[in-house]
Amino acid sequence: MHTRLTSTRGDRESISLPDSVLRMSRILIVVGVLLLLLAVVFGLLRGDGLSYFYHAYLVNFCFFLSLSLGGLFFVALQHASRAGWSVAVRRVAEILAANTLLMALLFLPILVPLLFGSSVLYKWLDPDVVRADAILAGKSAYLNLPFFVTRAVAFFAVWGALVWYFWRRSLEQDETGDASLTLRMERVSYPALLVFAVTITFAAVDWIMSLTPHWYSTIFGVYYFSGAVVGCLAAVILILTGLQRTGRLLESVTVEHYHELGKLLFAFTIFWGYIAFSQYLLIWYANIPEETTWYLPRQRGGWVAVSLILLFGHLLIPFVGLISREAKRRPAILAFWAAWLLVMHWLDVHYLIMPNVEIIGLPVGPIDVFCLFGMGLLYLAGFLLWAGSRPLTPMRDPRLGESLGFENS
Amino acid sequence: MTAVDNTFNLPGQRAPLVTGKADYATITQDVCAIAEQHRPPRSWYIAFAVSVATLGVLGAAIVYLITTGIGVWGNNSPAFWGFDIVNFVFWVGIGHAGTLISAILFLFRQQWRTSINRMAEAMTIFAVMCAGLFPAIHVGRVWLIYWLAPYPNWLAMWPNFRSPLLWDVFAVSTYATVSALFWYLGMIPDLATLRDRAQTPIRRMAYGLFALGWTGSARAWHHYERAYLLLAALATPLVLSVHSVVSFDFAVSQVPGWHTTVFPPYFVAGAIFSGFAMVITLAVPARAYFGLKHLITPRHLENICKVILVTSLMVGYAYSIELFTAWYSQNPYESFLFLGNRPFGPYGVFYWIMVTCNVVIPQLFWFKKCRTTAWIMVVIAILVNVGMWMERFVIMMSLTRDFLPSSWGLFIPTPIDIVMFIGSFGLFFTLFLLFCRYLPVVAMAEVKTVLPHGHQP
Amino acid sequence: MTAHATPAAEESSERLCGLLAEFADAPALVEAARTVREAGIRRFDSHSPFPVHGIDGAMGIRPTVLPWLVMGAGVAGAIVALVMQWWTNAVDYPLNISGKPLFSLPANIPVTFELIILFSALTAFFGVLALNGLPRFHDPLSQSERFRRATADRFFISIDARDAAFDATRLRGLLEGAGATAVETVYEAPTAAQIPPVIYLAGIVVVSLALIPPLWIAKDRRSTSDTPRMHPVRDMDDQPRFQPQADTPLFANGQTMRLPVPGTIASGDLRDDDHFFRGTEGEQFVTTLPPQVQPVTLAFVQRGRERYDVYCAPCHGLAGAGDGITSVRALARPDSPGWVPPLSLHSLGVREQPIGKIFNSITNGIRTMPAYNAQIPPQDRWAIVVYVLALQRSQNAVLDDLPPEEREKLELRDFRN
Repeated sequence: MHTRLTSTRGDRESISLPDSVLRMSRILIVVGVLLLLLAVVFGLLRGDGLSYFYHAYLVNFCFFLSLSLGGLFFVALQHASRAGWSVAVRRVAEILAANTLLMALLFLPILVPLLFGSSVLYKWLDPDVVRADAILAGKSAYLNLPFFVTRAVAFFAVWGALVWYFWRRSLEQDETGDASLTLRMERVSYPALLVFAVTITFAAVDWIMSLTPHWYSTIFGVYYFSGAVVGCLAAVILILTGLQRTGRLLESVTVEHYHELGKLLFAFTIFWGYIAFSQYLLIWYANIPEETTWYLPRQRGGWVAVSLILLFGHLLIPFVGLISREAKRRPAILAFWAAWLLVMHWLDVHYLIMPNVEIIGLPVGPIDVFCLFGMGLLYLAGFLLWAGSRPLTPMRDPRLGESLGFENS
Repeated sequence: MTAVDNTFNLPGQRAPLVTGKADYATITQDVCAIAEQHRPPRSWYIAFAVSVATLGVLGAAIVYLITTGIGVWGNNSPAFWGFDIVNFVFWVGIGHAGTLISAILFLFRQQWRTSINRMAEAMTIFAVMCAGLFPAIHVGRVWLIYWLAPYPNWLAMWPNFRSPLLWDVFAVSTYATVSALFWYLGMIPDLATLRDRAQTPIRRMAYGLFALGWTGSARAWHHYERAYLLLAALATPLVLSVHSVVSFDFAVSQVPGWHTTVFPPYFVAGAIFSGFAMVITLAVPARAYFGLKHLITPRHLENICKVILVTSLMVGYAYSIELFTAWYSQNPYESFLFLGNRPFGPYGVFYWIMVTCNVVIPQLFWFKKCRTTAWIMVVIAILVNVGMWMERFVIMMSLTRDFLPSSWGLFIPTPIDIVMFIGSFGLFFTLFLLFCRYLPVVAMAEVKTVLPHGHQP
Repeated sequence: MTAHATPAAEESSERLCGLLAEFADAPALVEAARTVREAGIRRFDSHSPFPVHGIDGAMGIRPTVLPWLVMGAGVAGAIVALVMQWWTNAVDYPLNISGKPLFSLPANIPVTFELIILFSALTAFFGVLALNGLPRFHDPLSQSERFRRATADRFFISIDARDAAFDATRLRGLLEGAGATAVETVYEAPTAAQIPPVIYLAGIVVVSLALIPPLWIAKDRRSTSDTPRMHPVRDMDDQPRFQPQADTPLFANGQTMRLPVPGTIASGDLRDDDHFFRGTEGEQFVTTLPPQVQPVTLAFVQRGRERYDVYCAPCHGLAGAGDGITSVRALARPDSPGWVPPLSLHSLGVREQPIGKIFNSITNGIRTMPAYNAQIPPQDRWAIVVYVLALQRSQNAVLDDLPPEEREKLELRDFRN
C-alpha cells in the first residue's frame, strides 16, 4: 500500500491538469456567456418581461450553487469526522466548494434588477401587492428588499470565508505538510457546519420558498440541503471518472473510494426521498389549503409528469440501480448513476422553482437548456481555473496513507 | 484497571479502541466473568430489589387501571392524549440509540461501536418494551388489543390502514422484532463462548440451547457476516422510519404545534439524542462497576458525547425553524401556539426546562473536560433525558389549545399517571440488571476484531 | 465410511469423525486453510472466535446466496403489504376516511415500508440459520476438550473423515507442517448423539400445552353457546344510577321516575298552526302567505335569497333553472347514470303549484329531494318560498313588467344594436 503513495508523489503529471486548461477555460467562458445571452434573447421573445428567463436563471443558479454548497458540506464533514478514507477525493470537493465564489458573481444578475425595483421574480417586492395582501404585509419585516440583500451578502460572505479558509489551508498543507493544519481545519469545521446549516436553510427560504410567498414548510431548508448533497456527490463521482479517463489520479483513487462515494450517494438519495416524502405526506394528509397551494400547480399539466419522473427517477430507479455492491464498485456504472442523479437533481430544482411561471406545453424549454449549458460551462471553467496546475489530491495530508490503503471490509 | 487516555487527536494516527494489555483470552475472561460469577456483589442485589419493587408498583397500577378503566389517568377532553403517549414517545426515543449504534455505526465502519453496541441494543429492546406498554394499556380493554391486527374476523371489519396510529403498530412491532433479532444474532457467538466455558451442565445446556450449536466455523461466519450486514442495512432505514412514523401520529393532523413538516427528521434526531444520553447514563456506571474500563474507554464515551452534542444542535435547529416559520407563516394559530402559548402559557415552565436541558446544557460538550469527566457527562445525560421527556409533554399539550377557545382545557396528571411513569423505569432497570447478570454485556467476538492484530490476515 | 477408516477407528467401537488441528493465531489459520485446500480436501472447516479476514479466499468459500433471498423477501413484503391494504380498505371493507381515496398510496407507504423490512429481516435471520444448518445441538467436535477454546481464543481446522481424500496420517503431517500447535483425532461414541429422554418429554409437554389455547379458540369459534361470553370488566353494566322503573327511597312516592311539572307541553305539541308550520289548511295547500310573515318586506326577500343560495342553489341553481353545481357535475360524470336532475323551478308544473305545496316540499322533501325542516326554521322556509316566487316572476317577466323609464333604456339599446 505504501509503495503506491510514493509513486503518486513522484509523478506530478498524473495528479494535476495540463497547462492548457487556462486556454480551455477562456473558451468555455466565452461560449457560456454567449449561451446565457441567447437565453436572454429567447426570454425577450416571450414578451413576459423576462419572467421565464429569470426563473430559469434562478433554477440553474440554485442548481450549481447547491453543488458548491454540497462540496463545502462534504469538506467540512470530512474534517469534523476525522475521516481517513476520503482524503484522496477531498480536493475535488474542495474545488467544487471554492466555486461558491463564482456563484456569488453569478448571483449579481439576480440581485441587480431587484435593486432597480424589479419584482418579476419575487412578488413580495412589489409594494402594491404587499399593500393589498395582509399576509405579505405581516411578513414584510422579513421579506423586504434591504434585509433580503443584507442576508444574501451575508450568506456569500460566510460561505466565501469558509471555502477560502479550507482551500488556502489545504493548499498550504500541500506545501508544508504540516499536520497541525489538519487540526486547525478540524477546529474550524465544527462552527462551519453549524453556520452552514443556518445559512443554507435561510438561503433556501429566501431564494426559493419566498417565490410562493404565502406558502411555508419547516422542512424546506433540509429538502434543499438533501438535494445539494446528492448533487455534490454525483458531481464528485463524475469529475473523478472524467479525471481518470484523461489519465489523472489513476493510482490514488481506487475502486474502494468509488464504492464509498457510491454508498454515500445511495444513502443521500434515500435521504432526499425521505425528506421529500415527509413533506408531501404531511401536506397531502392534513390537506390544509394554505399548504396544498404549493403542490396543486405541480399536479397539473406537464408538472404531473415531472413529479412522477422525480418520484421514479430521483428515488426508486436509482435505489434499485445503486443497491448492489457491484454497481458501486464499477466506475462506469457508478458514473452512469451519478450523471442520472445529477440530471434528476437539476429537474428537482426546476420543479421547485418553475411552476411559479405560467407554462403552456412542455415544462422544459430552450431557455432552460441555454441557461443550463451557459451556466454549466461557466461553472466548469471556474472548476478548471481553481484546479489550474495544482495537485488534484491533498498530497501531504497526514491521513493520505490511510486513504490510499483504504479497503471496504 | 486504570483508564488510559485514548482521546488524543493526532492526524494520521488512530487511537486504540481497546487499551491495556488486552488479548483474545483476557477479553473473553473479563466479559465472561461478569456472567459467570456465582454471587453477584451486594450492590447488584440492592439495585435489583429496588427495580423489582418499582416494577411491582407498576404492576399494581396496571391492575388497578385495567379493572377500573383509563379514567384513572388525567386524560380528558381536549387532552385525549396525556402521559400515556408522552411516555410512549419518550421510551421509543430512548430505544433508538441501540439499533443506531449497531446498524448505522456499523455501516459507517465506526469501530468504536463494538464495545458498547451489545449494551445499547439490550437497552433498545427493554426501552421498546416499556414503550409498547403504554399504547397497549391505553386501549383500555387490553385483552382486545389483537383487534389492531389485520386478521379476518367475524365483525367483518379491517383496520384502517390510512390511520397513522396503525402505521405505528406496524412500525413499533417491526422495530421490536428486528431489534431483537439483531441483538440475538449478534449474541450467538458470545453465547457459544459462554456455553463452552460453562462449568455446570445446567449452564451449559441453557447457554447451549440459545447458542444454537455455533462453533465459529468459517463457513458459518461467512453467511453470518453477510446476514449481519444485511440486518444492519435493513435496520438503518428502519430506525429512521420508526420515529418518523411516531411523528406522523401528530404531524398528519391539523393541530397547531403538531402539523409541521420538519417533524419526521426532528423526531429522529431527538430520539437519537435521548437514546445516546441513556447509553451514557447506563454505560458509565456499568464500565466502572464491571471493570470494563479498558473495553469501554474514554474515547468511546467522548464519541457518544459528541453524538449528543450534534443531535442537540439538530433539535435546537428544529425548535428554531418552528419558531421562525410560525411567525413567517402569518398563520394566527401557528403564531399563537409557538410564540404565545408554548413559552408563556400554562405549561411555559416545561417549555423552558425543555429548551434549557436540550439545547443549552449539552453545549457544555464543546469542552473536552466535559466529554471526558464521567460525572459531568452523566449529569448532562440525565438532564437531556429530562429535557426530552419535557419536549414530548410540551408537544402533547398543544392539544389543550386548539382552534376553538371554547374547547380549551388543561391536563393535570393524576398520581396513577406519575406512578406508572416511574414504574416503567422499574421494568426497564429490572430487565437491564438481569441482562447484565446473565448475558455477555460486551460483544466479545466483535471487540476481538478491532484488536490491533485482529484484522491482520 | 468404513472404507476410509483408519486402523485406530477399527480398534475402538467409536466412529472416526475426523482430524482437529489447533493454531495459535489467525494468520496461521488462513495459511493452513489454504494448504489443506490445495491438498485437495473439500470437506473441511476452520473455526475461530471471530470472523477472520481472508479466510473465505483461502478456503474457497463461494459468495453466499443470502442477499438474493433477502431481496426476494423484500419484494414479497412490498407486494403483500400493498395487496393487503388495497383489498382490506378498498375492496372488502371500503370506508371513507376524511375524503381520502380508498386506496391511498401515500398513506400506504409506511406500512409497506415496515413490511418490506420485516420480511427481509426475518429472512436474513432465519436464512442464516438455515444456510448454516443451525440449530444443531450435537457436534462431534464438542467431544474435544481442546475445541472449547474455538469460541474464545484459539483457531482450529477440522477435516471431515468422509472427505474422499481423507488420509489421517498424511493430513496429520500436513497440518503439523502448516504450523498446528496440536493435532488430534476426533471420535464419536455411537450413543453420544442421543438427546436425553427428559428433553423429549419436556418438549412433548410444552408442545401439548402450547396447543391448548389455539384448540380452545377453534372450538369456541365452531360452536354456539347460550351463555353470554366472558366479560371481565363490568364497569358499563354496573353503573351507579337508578334504573327507570325501579324503586327509590329518595322520593316520597317511591318512584325513580319523576312526573313532569304541571303545564309541561311535549316537544312539538305547540305547532298547531297548520298554515304557518305546514302550509296547509284542512286538506288543501294554502295559496296565501301566513300572517306571521306579512307584510313581506325587502329584508325578508333578501333573507330568503340568502337562505336559498345556501340550501337550494347547489342543486336548483342560483336562478332556479335546475342547473346547480351538484347537478352539473353529476351529469358530467360518466359513472353516475342514476342521477335525476332537479326540476327547474320555472317549469309550468312548479309555477302552478300553490305556495303551500312549495313550502311542503321544502319541509318534507319530495322525490329525491330530502327534507329541510331540520336545517331551516319555518320563518326562513317561508322566506325561501317568497324568494322562489320572486325568481319565478323574474324568469317569466314580460316587457310590460318593467317601469316605463327602464323600458325606454331597453328599447334604446335594442335600437342601437
